[in-house]
Amino acid sequence: MSNSDKVWPTGLTEAESEEIHRNLIQGTQIFGMIAAFAHLLAYIYSPWLK
Amino acid sequence: MIYSKMWCVVKPSVGIPVFIAAVAISSFSVHLALTTNTTWVKDFLNGGTKVVAAAPAADAAVKK
Repeated sequence: MSNSDKVWPTGLTEAESEEIHRNLIQGTQIFGMIAAFAHLLAYIYSPWLK
Repeated sequence: MIYSKMWCVVKPSVGIPVFIAAVAISSFSVHLALTTNTTWVKDFLNGGTKVVAAAPAADAAVKK
């Protein structure tokens, strides 16, 4: 059994782990972009930093 | 990088909710800190800026 087919204690293989991680990172990036946009709106429309 | 293999040792059904809860808790505490340690957030949420913006207009009207 090569390392890539090994099932780890969590029940996942390395490929499955990387797949989950890729989606989690993408979701976090989308969250980050939404947060950046919200901060832009807050900077424009609120007294923040003025 | 090695991080993508973390789900081999951390169960996603545990790690992902913990990750999302951490983001939610930290975001909430930042907003709470802002509302409690500043005056402008409360004023703004109670229509503060509009009052400030309206006030000069009202003064101008009075002066004429």
